[in-house]
Amino acid sequence: MTLSRREFLKISAAGGASAAAGVGIAKSFFDTETKPEAPAYSQEWIPTICLMCPGGCGVLVRTINGRAVKIEGNPLHPVNTGKVCPKANAALQVLYDPDRIKGPLRQVGERGSGNWQPISWDEAIGIIAARLSEIRAEAGPHTVAFMTGRVRGQMGELIDRFLAAYGSPNHIRHDSLSVDGERIGNELMFGHREQLGYDWDNCNYVLSFGRAFLEASRPTVRQIRAFSSMRRDRPNRRGKFVQIDTRFSITAAKADEWIPIQPGSDGALALGIANIIIAEGLYDAGFVQEHTFGFEDWKDEDGIIHQGFRSFVLNNYHPVQVEALTGVNADTIVRLAREFATAQPAIATGGRGTSMQTNGVYNWMAVQSLNALVGSIEVPGGVMIQNHPPFAPWPDLPPDPVAEQGRNMPRIDAAGTRNHPLATSVYQSLPEHVLASNPYPLSALFLYYTNPLFSAPDVRRFYDAFEQIPFIVSFSPFLDDSSAFADLILPDHTFLERLQDDEIEPSLGYSVVGLRQPVVEPLLDTRDSGDVLIQIARAIGGYITAAFPWENFAHTVQYRLSGLWASERGNIRATSFSHFWDELVSQSVWYDAPYSFGQWGRVFNTPSGKFEFFSQILRNRLESLQGEFDWDDWLDELEIRGRGDMIYLPHYEPPRFIGGGEYPFYLNTYKLMAHAEGRGANAPWLQEKLGLHVRRSWDAWVEINPETATGLGIQEDDWVWVESPLGERIKLKAVLYPGARPDTVNIPFGQGHRFYGRWAEARGENPNWIIADEYDRVAGTAGWYATRVKITKV
Amino acid sequence: MPQWGMVIDLDRCVACQACTAACRAENNVSFAGPEDTQLGRAIFWHEVLSEVTGEYPNVRGTFIPRPCMHCENPPCVRVCPVGATYQNEEGLVLQRYERCIGCRYCMVACPYAVRFFNWRDPQWVENMGNYRNPDVPIRPKGVVEKCTFCSHRLPVPACNQACPGNARFFGDLEDPDSVVSQLARGPRAFRLLEDLGTEPKVYYLREGA
Repeated sequence: MTLSRREFLKISAAGGASAAAGVGIAKSFFDTETKPEAPAYSQEWIPTICLMCPGGCGVLVRTINGRAVKIEGNPLHPVNTGKVCPKANAALQVLYDPDRIKGPLRQVGERGSGNWQPISWDEAIGIIAARLSEIRAEAGPHTVAFMTGRVRGQMGELIDRFLAAYGSPNHIRHDSLSVDGERIGNELMFGHREQLGYDWDNCNYVLSFGRAFLEASRPTVRQIRAFSSMRRDRPNRRGKFVQIDTRFSITAAKADEWIPIQPGSDGALALGIANIIIAEGLYDAGFVQEHTFGFEDWKDEDGIIHQGFRSFVLNNYHPVQVEALTGVNADTIVRLAREFATAQPAIATGGRGTSMQTNGVYNWMAVQSLNALVGSIEVPGGVMIQNHPPFAPWPDLPPDPVAEQGRNMPRIDAAGTRNHPLATSVYQSLPEHVLASNPYPLSALFLYYTNPLFSAPDVRRFYDAFEQIPFIVSFSPFLDDSSAFADLILPDHTFLERLQDDEIEPSLGYSVVGLRQPVVEPLLDTRDSGDVLIQIARAIGGYITAAFPWENFAHTVQYRLSGLWASERGNIRATSFSHFWDELVSQSVWYDAPYSFGQWGRVFNTPSGKFEFFSQILRNRLESLQGEFDWDDWLDELEIRGRGDMIYLPHYEPPRFIGGGEYPFYLNTYKLMAHAEGRGANAPWLQEKLGLHVRRSWDAWVEINPETATGLGIQEDDWVWVESPLGERIKLKAVLYPGARPDTVNIPFGQGHRFYGRWAEARGENPNWIIADEYDRVAGTAGWYATRVKITKV
Repeated sequence: MPQWGMVIDLDRCVACQACTAACRAENNVSFAGPEDTQLGRAIFWHEVLSEVTGEYPNVRGTFIPRPCMHCENPPCVRVCPVGATYQNEEGLVLQRYERCIGCRYCMVACPYAVRFFNWRDPQWVENMGNYRNPDVPIRPKGVVEKCTFCSHRLPVPACNQACPGNARFFGDLEDPDSVVSQLARGPRAFRLLEDLGTEPKVYYLREGA
């Protein structure tokens, strides 16, 4: 709309343009002081759960005449207590994104050609049901896979159930790209395969090994609240925050101290700190004695002596040795150890930079052993083990021999095999298995809330793999990089248009289940993917239909949540489930009583029932898979250099890197507050205030240390090529950043979409094109930081 | 009459920019797009200013959330040739869009750079206009606009409401017992460019113990 100022005044005086736009407040159009005339609108504040990241914050959405106009925090929700991050309000731009997919689509040209034909929902579901029936009868149901990302609430298990009923073991979750390093490390020591809760508010000292505490680690709002509270809510006690990080992040800037560290050496630093805590007798002897296993040297049932954590650490990780590995001064290591051990309660934690390395699981174990040393587990101000809600159990699956045979087939991604013994999903390995038809060719791939053609390392492999998969279906509401190469798109509602429960990520310790509910009518011809999955199951017939006794996804959610009502726990008690549900709809959150410390019976789910410095879970797992193969050869395959008892103890495995002297720089990629997991690129508000620390927006960039840049003849804003040994290179603007190590360059992740709507496309570059597909092999997790690069001026 | 003021605790603030996003949603500030942003034409009634200085590894980052200071002695009001900019009885410095002639003297006069010129008519692509707030007028091309302390929703500005760090406080500076008055008198309190004599009504609490 272009209007002259005169026309504009004329129209607005008549109230025409503004009323047509639904504003209807002619007079106040030009005067901030004039209050609107009798508001010609009806307003509601509807509670729901945000999904701009998986933090699970409760929000209130203000609607005006059925339009969503503002998003604020829901004060009742314990994760965010009425607060939001910048991504929440940008959800309005996601909802009203002009490039959303308007209804089901079938690709009629070549994949990626954009030759889409709109089809009806009945037709789409019919095509899929027919295809799945045919595959089940011919190639076998195990040749169908789902790749999934944000499977919130019941959605993950609904997909599990769909695949189990159909007969496939292949639900490939994206956790091997994100949090599995942490989860697996925790499983080995605590016996719980999940992230930990932390009682930040009551803690005096945080030793953060690269956790993007205030930016991209989740739940972000909860962590920001806790940071503020730790700093200033207690009279005369200001918690100290130390950030150990390869780059000067905003978290590092807000910390009391930034310790730059050699990439991939976090585990060594943690063990150096442990060395001093043990050598100086600063550890919590009572806790170690009562609640840990493998601290002292010990004798097993066969009389064999095993090395304990104490002697292992004292012999191997003297601060002088650790300084050589990490670049952190030995005096600093000694000081950090003394501070950490005496500032009780204190928490050691980490993030992707610790756990998603080629040595990630051992790094994570090293960090968590610090919490055990100082007794910061199951005490106020320490680590908590998350409780889970008492959902009603899923009903048994019908006894279908075809499905049973199918789901007992090996997984396509080799998770849990000798290649990746601790893995449950190995997302990024799919291309190698698809391209080699190993262990079998894939017949169909479904994509739910995930975008492998953007989010996986060495992206090109996925493009190749997609060509080998005969049938690809996407549930995305947006035409993203991967959906553009699908055969069918069954667009989901955006999260503001659908009903779904949302159990929080481990954080508060006690159970919290949010209810996500529609705040506006669906704008387009989209359908809830949960409903669609049930409709597909019904269209296939037989046992598969029988596995879904619910009319729709809402009923499934209600069935599962009836367990909350029946438990008679938490903030909502009611005489009937329907009253419970009404109350849940009005509050949009159910939460249990606050965390109760000292429940030792549930804290450690390990063979010893204690925190295991020496992981018997790891030993048992490896021994169970060893079979007739040569132990040393296998460890070599897994690229574990440790031998003997060391394999089961937290230890420093030197990180591996792709690229020799020709590639002089480590490549570090990171996530920004505004984009979190790289999905914010289609929200203009987030694009416009993106890289606060470098004052950049609407673009990607590469951060180079100023002296390094000068040495290469590179100035601020020069275009540079960043090239890796993969033979791929990306072109970015150089930012001379004093917070970059001289040997490391940093690129934010989130830009460089080839498809994702007008605001996101062809903007900046995606560093995943140059990142090698490296692994922490034992865990099957991505070694995100294992690629070295060279920089040349364009 | 209350005299509205704000206190921002920099020790609690983590530069997340929730304030900035909430402000834009609340006040119908659309986005400028990449080209206009490059030209410095993006409008931010509220913005987080940032600076990273020093040499590796001795680096320091400073982040300052910046709404309008709603000065007691506002230079912008003094220079406005048409009376479009004025201070109301509650101390808010506001803009009458219908009087503004777009001369931008006020933008030059404001030492805090909190005033923004509309280089284009407001535009919302397709149904992105659906999220406009009917309580806040939309500004045409050619006028200057600025933070109102959310005068339409006093006493809870949108930036304060959103703040996950609980770093922001708002209230009546005339009332000596109000939280803002007490914090403004505290040992960590300071104001931006105090020596200019503008008497800003936004106080900051410095970082650290």
